[in-house]
Amino acid sequence: MAHSDSAATVHITDEEIDHICEEFGNREGAVVQILQTIQEKYGYVPAEVLERVGDDLGIPHSKMFGVLTFYSQFYREPRGKFILKVCVGTACHVRGAGLLVDKIKENLHVEEGENTEDMLFTLEPVSCLGSCALAPMAMINGNTYGKLSGDKMVEILHQLKDESSSEPVSEANPAS
Amino acid sequence: MVKLTVNGKEVEVPAGTTILHAASAAGIPIPTFCYNPRMDPAGSCRICAVELEDSKRTVMGCITQVAEGMKVLTESPKVHEARKTNLELLLLHHPLDCPVCDCGGECPLQNMSFAYGGADSRFESHRNDEPEDMKSEVLVFNSNRCILCGKCVRVCDEIQDVHAIGFINRGFDTVIGPPLGKKLDCEFCGDCLEVCPTGAITDRFVRYQFRPWQMEKTETTCTSCGSGCRMVVDTENEAIVRISAREGLGPNEGSICVVGRFGFNAVQNKSRLESPHFKRAQRLVPGSWEEILPKIAAHLASLSSSGEGRVAGLISSQLPIEDAFLFQRFMRQTLNSNFLDSDARQGLMNMAIPLVSATGSLRPLVDNQDIIAADTIVVLGADPAAESNITGLAIKKAVRKNKAALYLVHGHDVSISTRAREVIRLLPGTEESFLSMLREALSSGTTALSSESRQRFQGLGATPEAVERLLSDLRASKRTVFVTGRRFHRSDQGFGASAQLLRLMAERNMFASEGSGLLVLPESGNDLGVLMMGATAEWLPGLLDATNAEQRSVWENHWQAKLPSGGGGLREILSGIEAGKIRALISLGVDPFTFLPDTGHIRKTLSKLELLVVVDLFQGPLSDMAHYLLPAASPFERAGHVVSAEGFVQPLAPAMAPWGLALPESEILLRLARQMGRALPFDDLSALSSEVFRIFPDLRPSTRNAPYFQGKTGEILLSLPRVQPPHKAQRESVLARVASFVKADLPATVAPAALNATERPENSFVLTLSKSINHAGTRTLLDSNLMTIEGEGFLKVPRSWARKRKLKKGACVLLSTPHGRISVPIDPVAGLADGEVHYPLHFADARFLALFPAHLNFNSQSGAQSGQAIDVTVEPIV
Repeated sequence: MAHSDSAATVHITDEEIDHICEEFGNREGAVVQILQTIQEKYGYVPAEVLERVGDDLGIPHSKMFGVLTFYSQFYREPRGKFILKVCVGTACHVRGAGLLVDKIKENLHVEEGENTEDMLFTLEPVSCLGSCALAPMAMINGNTYGKLSGDKMVEILHQLKDESSSEPVSEANPAS
Repeated sequence: MVKLTVNGKEVEVPAGTTILHAASAAGIPIPTFCYNPRMDPAGSCRICAVELEDSKRTVMGCITQVAEGMKVLTESPKVHEARKTNLELLLLHHPLDCPVCDCGGECPLQNMSFAYGGADSRFESHRNDEPEDMKSEVLVFNSNRCILCGKCVRVCDEIQDVHAIGFINRGFDTVIGPPLGKKLDCEFCGDCLEVCPTGAITDRFVRYQFRPWQMEKTETTCTSCGSGCRMVVDTENEAIVRISAREGLGPNEGSICVVGRFGFNAVQNKSRLESPHFKRAQRLVPGSWEEILPKIAAHLASLSSSGEGRVAGLISSQLPIEDAFLFQRFMRQTLNSNFLDSDARQGLMNMAIPLVSATGSLRPLVDNQDIIAADTIVVLGADPAAESNITGLAIKKAVRKNKAALYLVHGHDVSISTRAREVIRLLPGTEESFLSMLREALSSGTTALSSESRQRFQGLGATPEAVERLLSDLRASKRTVFVTGRRFHRSDQGFGASAQLLRLMAERNMFASEGSGLLVLPESGNDLGVLMMGATAEWLPGLLDATNAEQRSVWENHWQAKLPSGGGGLREILSGIEAGKIRALISLGVDPFTFLPDTGHIRKTLSKLELLVVVDLFQGPLSDMAHYLLPAASPFERAGHVVSAEGFVQPLAPAMAPWGLALPESEILLRLARQMGRALPFDDLSALSSEVFRIFPDLRPSTRNAPYFQGKTGEILLSLPRVQPPHKAQRESVLARVASFVKADLPATVAPAALNATERPENSFVLTLSKSINHAGTRTLLDSNLMTIEGEGFLKVPRSWARKRKLKKGACVLLSTPHGRISVPIDPVAGLADGEVHYPLHFADARFLALFPAHLNFNSQSGAQSGQAIDVTVEPIV
């Protein structure tokens, strides 16, 4: 898993957490939805946020941590602004997904599951995105990029980099 | 009722019974890993598989309920095959490092493999090789050995209600541990260690230091608090290696707290006294019993012959009833003095005196089982989990399982606060006012409080809405249990508050209704027993009035001796010494310097004694002044019986040989009496036991075991109920007494020391002393294990106060009162009453006690020490 980068950790106030929990009626049963909402908003679920949610819902921290670690959808560390979900399913594999991944690794100096140092990208190979016709393909923050090649991928990365550097500096908010 | 056969044997059980219990009722054990009779079945380990003959199916015995005509086979080839396969799978990743595993030799997984498994496995996989979680100083989690039965997680959830550990990750990666990669932070009861069927959780204090089969096991009773936990002491070469509980054993049913489980090192601390000492040229020098006892005896003989009340005695409430009985007889008959007292004077007497005058008994009408069944539980000034852990567990269970309404009336949050329907935060020293107002409101019959009484409740720190809720629950409740503890008993208003509480209970007819009553939590293991044996100035054995000539004559006739009439407790003893009337003091394990403020004054008073004999385990402030210091045997080195808060009379058993030349206190007193030529008619401790049980048949040993035990491979064995004397007070005789108690006048209400929560100047607080769950008294400060867990006293201050001043845990503040000042580290916590701070009493040494007023205050009616809460100023040190 990626290492946390203090510059990118988000500060979330207790009040914000309380508010999200209240939206779900502070129901114990809504714990997964609450964690999802938090992750959608902040990119990951920090430890102290997890504890606060537990306190709000009356769920012991040990149980909260059990839920968080049970589902692979939840992240405990900050993640990059752009999540590079590169499909490595059978069809994409046959069409050179491995090369795509290698190209990204080389270009961004990251390993699988890691964030780039500037916290812009997270490389996350996924098993199948169900768009085999577009193989090899990748999904970046909800946008699909099909029929990729190494060069195309590098181009996209550069584009994204330029886009974000032209934007006014704001708190890391990858899902926006 | 449902009829079924188990291995062809017919058995009839109530509907809803599981196959496991039905089989056990038929005398047929089924092996288990994840099952524990105290918890809801989980069915996760699959080892209790049994075959249903008709359907040829295997089902899990622990979760399958019986059905009419069911034919269960527990040892068929199919069952064996299933268990063997199961074990093959369980051992697939297991490291099989039994030779270096602490659990080896008493491991259910090992035993089960021996019974059902084979050497070969049809599966191939890697052995787990994860590093152990060594973050905690107490427990080590080894995920490689774990079979993920979840028993530890469930015991922490369902029995302890602490939720310190949980499942982490999923599938093959699942491990057990504390959340967020933190170090284990819990009550350290060690129940998870106890129930673990493998070596996945081990005790770090004794890691790699023992092999289970080489240790000798002794069942004994813990004397640290009033819970009366039965425990098993494992010794090797006369040294305690570890202490454990046993499933189903004793009122604790297999749970013990951190002090019971880990707090055994103090008694084997190198500083234990090994031989009798006597003073020569201002120094204590070792001698022999033969040399020292005649000297003490001669001195005592000449003093006691010179008149009544020349010698005073103090006795620790941890000593068994035999010693208490002998002590008071020695004091009264041999030494002709009624100046005697026990630890109970520090607070419990405030409750004991009104309780005895109201009910005639110190035994409760309710026990922990009644708490579990209660509708409403009102905890007054107690932290049950810390003061009497098993009662704490019962309260948590009552709320969790039976949705009991729990009210906590206390100054600060304690572990049960989160389960309480309401926490009523009372300032110290306002308990009597609170209860008298509550009594008034209850008898007025209206649910809503008048605006005047709302204001009055608010003045005590209580929220009126919470009080209103309590009132309506009390009215509706059929089974109400009150629990009182340390803070309540030690309050300046403790005596009056106890009388008010008993009156309230009488008025609400609670003494008559089964399941309702009062459970008093004493501070030491045998407070109740020591008082029942008359080791206090007020009472002769059997709680007879020592000031009443007629009641005195009962014992005078029995012992053929004239008994002294005057005398008194700690207050009178101190003033008697000061006045030069009392010339000698014998202390059996009581050190006034550990609980009385103004040590300078006490030192001056005690220096007037011409003879001070101290019998203790260690040298302490008092023994430095002693003329003779005698080594006592610890509770682990002797026999005897103690009375628990629930009223059980349970035995101590010697688990190791006495330390050096140490002797049990009763043995020392017997030898002294013999030396004085006034021998008491007992040869030894066992003669003393038989005499006590002969005079008091209802004090014959009693206990409560759970109706089951667990065998070596986790199988359930139902135990046979035994007839034993009742441990509770008899309702009929109590009711007869209560009738006259209700008619008598209540003591005049003592006005609370002007405390107003809302009008406190900044940085001004009320300071109280509280009991920590990790310690019992001050002796545990010598325990290396417990000091690892909690080795320093922190002043608990309101979190908001600390935050405002940017103070973090460990920051030092200056505590000052008109009498003294001291700097202490703080621990900011939530849930303190407005304007209150508290400090663990164990760490309150002489320097700390100097914060309290120099003159001693005693409650005028009970003689109990008062003034244990004080106004302080807390200032950050800049």
